[in-house]
Amino acid sequence: MTRRKLLAAAAFAVAGTLALTACSGGSGDDAAGDGDKTITFMFRGGPDEKAAYEAAIAKFTEDTGTKVKVIVTDADQYATKLQAAVAGNNVPDVFYIEQASLQSYVASGVLLDITDQVEASGVDLSNIWEYGVNSYRFDGEVQGTPDGALYGLPKDVGPFSFGYNKTMLEAAGIPLPDKDTPLTWDEFVAICKQLTVDKNGDGTLDQWGTGLNVQWNLQSMVWSNGGDWTNEDHTEVTVDTPEFAEALQKFADLTNVEKVTPSTSDAATLDTYQRWMAGEIGFFPVGPWDVSVYNDLDFDYDLIPWPTVGDGGTATWLGSLGIGVSATSKHPDDAAKLVTYLSADPEAQQTLVDANIQIPNLIDVAEGWATEEGAEPANRQEFLDIAQDYGRAMPAAFTYGAEWYDELWTNIQPVLDGKQTAEEYLAEVQPKMQTLLDESIANAEQAG
Amino acid sequence: MARTATVDTPPEAPGTTAASPAPVARSKRDIMRLHRTEHRWAATFVAAPVVGYLLFTLYPIGFAVYASLTSWTGLGPMRFVGLENYVDLLSDEYFHKALFNTFFYMIGIPIGLFLSLLLALALNRKIPGRTAFRTIYYVPVISSLAAIAIVWQFAYNGDFGLVNQVLSWFGVQGPDWLQNTATVKPAIIIMAIWKGLGYSTLLYLAAIQSVPASLLEAAALDGANAFQRFRSIVLPMVRPVTFFLVVTNVIAGSQIFTEINIMTPTGGPEFSSASVVWYIVRKAFKYQQMGYATAMSIVLGILVLVITLIQFRLNRRNSFAID
Repeated sequence: MTRRKLLAAAAFAVAGTLALTACSGGSGDDAAGDGDKTITFMFRGGPDEKAAYEAAIAKFTEDTGTKVKVIVTDADQYATKLQAAVAGNNVPDVFYIEQASLQSYVASGVLLDITDQVEASGVDLSNIWEYGVNSYRFDGEVQGTPDGALYGLPKDVGPFSFGYNKTMLEAAGIPLPDKDTPLTWDEFVAICKQLTVDKNGDGTLDQWGTGLNVQWNLQSMVWSNGGDWTNEDHTEVTVDTPEFAEALQKFADLTNVEKVTPSTSDAATLDTYQRWMAGEIGFFPVGPWDVSVYNDLDFDYDLIPWPTVGDGGTATWLGSLGIGVSATSKHPDDAAKLVTYLSADPEAQQTLVDANIQIPNLIDVAEGWATEEGAEPANRQEFLDIAQDYGRAMPAAFTYGAEWYDELWTNIQPVLDGKQTAEEYLAEVQPKMQTLLDESIANAEQAG
Repeated sequence: MARTATVDTPPEAPGTTAASPAPVARSKRDIMRLHRTEHRWAATFVAAPVVGYLLFTLYPIGFAVYASLTSWTGLGPMRFVGLENYVDLLSDEYFHKALFNTFFYMIGIPIGLFLSLLLALALNRKIPGRTAFRTIYYVPVISSLAAIAIVWQFAYNGDFGLVNQVLSWFGVQGPDWLQNTATVKPAIIIMAIWKGLGYSTLLYLAAIQSVPASLLEAAALDGANAFQRFRSIVLPMVRPVTFFLVVTNVIAGSQIFTEINIMTPTGGPEFSSASVVWYIVRKAFKYQQMGYATAMSIVLGILVLVITLIQFRLNRRNSFAID
């Protein structure tokens, strides 16, 4: 090869690389040719979810002729990747959206109002969990109101239920808790104490009553004690109330005073989650997303209402993840079709439900599912009760961002370790949370 | 390179042109043309990195500086707010804490360098199987940081972890390393030292081996013992490597993120393990405060720049003049 040819080849290679890098920024939605439509769908989830969604989407392509390019990420990378896609003007046509991010995505003009498309599709919204649908309604001021425009449909609702190790309780000769009457806190602690034992007599405990995580389990305790994070219109942080303090104190006391949980200084659930699965824990939360894993365990388990701290009645949260359409999509109608298909098509729902990753979105399907013969867990109805009757939105679900809410967890460790009282800590953290909430409200007003 | 290149470059020395006068008149234009093509090619080659630099370095920096002056969510339009983000940084206790943590982690740098120098000295001896040892120490360097962080996360687990299991053989009840404000930073430092050891050792080994044997022999003849030879000959000779490692480690250390994010996804108890980059990512992508996050990254960038300049200034008296 002569020098000149070599030069030419090298320059070509350099130019080619540059051209490639330049291109990769803008491709994606222009891949569609005439008549051969392709839309992109970005979501997050593990291998089970990916397989279930791919099966559902293959059916969608078969029915409508619209091809779907799937982009799937791990749960913790999803927000970063989506935001990078938005910043790079390369938004997928259809993507998952979190309740707490909805307002900022709407305000930034990223999400499309799909009210008309959903209406035109003839989907019976009253057959989908009301909470789920309303979560993605936004009238420009209040999210979750029944008359707001639809910026997405629920992928699912996630009723966070409570469970117990049936095999363990039976072995200990403890009467099984009633599936309709919640345990009082004292009853709950008493059973936990009975279950916390050293089974093999080696001087160390190897079975515990429970093992909870403050970040995901405190809500139930606070609400059942009549407390809450904010006032009704989400403008004032109310964590410095006696009801709230009592609930948090009782949470910490499970470890420090009652000594019915493993590991003194553990905030991450890793340990208790592993121990629950190893059959060493009596009571543990159960979400629909856990069912496929829990059904393979060596013991029987079932669902019960959360124990109540005060007389506020049993309470827990109902999460949700939505599916929205990009405002810049070149095929908004097809994109909206995919959203309604994934959210409300009976066949698609069956595929997803069979994979044991969620409860059915359609109420009539769900009712059949709950009473299925030999279902595991037996009391599936509890999930539906939460979705239908008593599940509550996470405190930050309908605010502009969740930073104010996360502030509560950042310095909570001394309380869990018993080095600071709940009351003291909450008095300290309330003003900080209030400042952050004020900022988020200001941001919302500015954006809106 | 220069010599082989003259084969088809036009002769430039006047002597050579004079030697063959006949074709000169005709080839001058050819030469010009040839030069023009060559210049074009040269420009293309020079342009590639320049364009790359403008596109992928200068433009992002300029954009970041501008973004740091806005209240940008990272999604929609940018709104100019002047220095507001920087003023907010002054009173952001989490930023201060993250900054403190980030520099606290750098305690590991001198420890790591000391250990790797010792290791390099050991591996420099003719011990059996030293190639195997060199490979073993280098394995963590080429392993994925994420995988390593996950493995160490398990090792540090308070109840099941390998570290506490080993400690319990000696009757020591280990703490829950990553859930404890006092132990989480040392735990991460230990891991980072372990991860970086192979790389520093390799460089030190190369530097030690390039120390002229004649110097060492001469010193030995003069009666210098092993420690004196190390102190007065080996140590000064490997100083450039030390300098290089310190500078690159400080820069890399200021960007510590993956270990923190995987081992302590919430920034540790009471924010005790959060690094600046971890906080930047959290603000930018979790709370959609891209403008504020960018301001933090600019401050971090300036800090690193200043520290690096100081290091170069301090190193000046140590550098050898090369003629």
